[in-house]
Amino acid sequence: MDVSKPPSRKEYMTMQKGRGRGLFGVFPGRYPRELFWSHGVLPMEIWDPVLDTSGSGVHLQPTICSIVKAGLELIIQGKCDDLDGFLFPHTCDSIQNLGSMVRDYLDVSKPCLFFYPPKAPYGRASRVFFRRELERLALELEGIYGRPDRDALHNAVVQGREVQKTLAALYAARAEGRLDASNSEFYRVVRLVEYMHPDDMLPAMKEFLDQRTTNHSVRTPCLVLSGVLPNPEGLFPVLDQLGLRVGDDDLLSCGRRLSGETDSGLDALDSLVESILGMPACSTINSPIEERRKQIIRKTGRCSAGGVLFNVIKFCEPDLFYYPYLRESLRKQGIKTLFLENEVNRDISGQTETRIEAFAEMIRRRRE
Amino acid sequence: MSLTARARFRFMKDMGAPALMAGSRAFMRARGRRRAPGPDTAPPLACGRRLREIMTRHYFLSRYAKGAAPVAWVTSGAPVELLRAFGFYTVYPENHGALCGAKGVGARLCSVAERNGYSQDLCSYARIDLGVALSGNSPAGKLPRPDLLFASNNICQTVAYWYTVLAEQWGVPFLLFDTPFNHAGGPSGADIAYMTSQLEDMLPTLERVSGCKFRMKALEAVLDLSKETAETWGAVLGTMKAVPSPMTIFEAFVHLAPVVSLRGLPVALEYYRVLFEELNQRVARGQGALREERKRLMWDNIAVWYKVRDFSTLFAERGMSFVTATYTNAWAETASDMDAGRPLESIARTYSRVILNNSLGDRLRLMEQLIRDYRVEGLVIHSARSCKPYSVGQYDLKRLLLERLGVPSVVIEADIADERAYSEQQTRTRLEAFFEALES
Ligand code: SF4
Ligand code: SF4
Repeated sequence: MDVSKPPSRKEYMTMQKGRGRGLFGVFPGRYPRELFWSHGVLPMEIWDPVLDTSGSGVHLQPTICSIVKAGLELIIQGKCDDLDGFLFPHTCDSIQNLGSMVRDYLDVSKPCLFFYPPKAPYGRASRVFFRRELERLALELEGIYGRPDRDALHNAVVQGREVQKTLAALYAARAEGRLDASNSEFYRVVRLVEYMHPDDMLPAMKEFLDQRTTNHSVRTPCLVLSGVLPNPEGLFPVLDQLGLRVGDDDLLSCGRRLSGETDSGLDALDSLVESILGMPACSTINSPIEERRKQIIRKTGRCSAGGVLFNVIKFCEPDLFYYPYLRESLRKQGIKTLFLENEVNRDISGQTETRIEAFAEMIRRRRE
Repeated sequence: MSLTARARFRFMKDMGAPALMAGSRAFMRARGRRRAPGPDTAPPLACGRRLREIMTRHYFLSRYAKGAAPVAWVTSGAPVELLRAFGFYTVYPENHGALCGAKGVGARLCSVAERNGYSQDLCSYARIDLGVALSGNSPAGKLPRPDLLFASNNICQTVAYWYTVLAEQWGVPFLLFDTPFNHAGGPSGADIAYMTSQLEDMLPTLERVSGCKFRMKALEAVLDLSKETAETWGAVLGTMKAVPSPMTIFEAFVHLAPVVSLRGLPVALEYYRVLFEELNQRVARGQGALREERKRLMWDNIAVWYKVRDFSTLFAERGMSFVTATYTNAWAETASDMDAGRPLESIARTYSRVILNNSLGDRLRLMEQLIRDYRVEGLVIHSARSCKPYSVGQYDLKRLLLERLGVPSVVIEADIADERAYSEQQTRTRLEAFFEALES
């Protein structure tokens, strides 16, 4: 696979379907990919399908975020025929109700599964509960796909660890300025996890890492990107043009799902428990703001970023609540911030472009 | 806790509050301020005065609570019984938000939060509360700073984010009671075990903050009281099954305050007993809340607080009586699960099963039940900009209730407490069309 031009989600889905793989639609955000892989099933994450979302207005208020609208639109336009079912992780009120609505009010005639990661701070009961939740989901998948091979889950967990390790290496190289890749290229590769099987995604990521890692570090002006998604598409060309590198991110779909290393001595399910509960601080799981603040500061330090770009999805409560405090505390540390409110797949306006330019200028001046 | 603060609180409780009440009664008498009934409504319930006194006293005393008792800010769906067992003085920011909305100062307080970076798209209860926290201004005088924040995400995730911000703001402990959402008709054994264990884990923090030792007996007594209060509130709502209904939902929105804010305290139970009695007398006399009850309606979602009075008049003029609401029902429907014999486990079950923590399929079934029980002929759906868990799914609910029960409905796009999100013209146009459909 040419990693600079990976197959689109649609192309990849068709290929996989042809190979007899099950496909499952997964809404944002934290869930155990490995359980699906262990059944030979591909979780296809639904974040920002490119669609006109006007049809969703029959079901959703105008004040619902564009991710939920786009996801629903995909279903009501009948573009999910290849999927065997849907998983709705409990990420926010909107996804929670969307899942319930799709199952209870719309006639989708496909299994709708739900997954509840416990909210932080994690107490002694959280791990026990979460393991049960994973067992429940595993059983539901068994009900659809049958019992997986004995070692399948273990193998999937091993692959999952490898994916996380590779992503961590990519992010480290990026932060240190040793990855010779534009912002668009970097996120194209990082986002492979949203739809590819590890058998394909791992070699592609590793190849990219090998080919693009350099011995010297380039210290171009740099920022940390916060928000939900590296979207809209138009954002990266603007940043690339301005010579601004996204050195790291605090994105719900990317950096906030990177887990640390888990103990390889754990059984498969416990390993998943540790991996998901060990993911970085996030408003969707109610992490204390202080943890999130420290996380962002750590990231800015690691890539010597001059600022943080909050690229928040309009109507996204989890992010909008945390933003004022984060901005204030970053300001106190002398870190510049820019707040953009976007909708997925909506182009960057000229006015927004001007604001980004001014922000880039500020970061550049600060470096000098 | 300080001795001086305690003495001051005691004094205010025994002397200040009664004096305030007496003064306010005298003032009302002097001004002849018993609201005259409109031409289409029965005289206001006599209980209304008692309710005003209870709530005024509660907010008045809250100003002196700091230092005299441990103070907690609590969400409406959180199991406050646990805190009562430690003697916490509880403040309900949502109830306070409703109060601000009803007094027409919601938008002003929201804009304080917005000037500090909080988006206008966030829940207005939260914005009002953050506005009050940032400005110190409140129509209730002054809210005491919390020693503890206590929330449950059984109503929404919003409260978890909001209280996380408050915890940062005040630098006080925040306890979140995490209630897994019920997609399968009710909590599983694993859910109950998880929730029960969280409650157990909260005890040391509650002991530390309150300075009181936990006594199971105290919790059991509060649970008994709370259960009876919620059941009596259920009985109060049950009187509205009568034709004509002795009270409209607009009055019920107001009489809801004690079960939300004072649940687990004797005053709330005493109050509902008196209210129940008064409503029963109305039923026995065949007296309705409206002079003529021509149609019976249901309300979905939280009230539009700044429009309660206007809506009340508008619907009364047409003989349309709201006899039930999903919102008011929420504090009664799970009361039967409370069991002082299994305190923590029954708290987990009771609070996990509230309407907003149940699937939309369950909500549809509940609404169908209410429509049948209360002989509802039409439905007004408030699509509240603030509240995603209540609002997402309402458009389909409207369609399904028409298909399944033939009940017509109208959707009003508004907000609970931020009056800027309300368009008089759009609402009037929709309501006129709805009235026509109902009459045809
Ligand atoms: S963008 Fe925010 S509100 Fe929308 S689905 Fe994601 S977390 Fe939920
Ligand atoms: S109005 Fe809705 S979002 Fe706001 S606190 Fe209440 S339940 Fe939560």
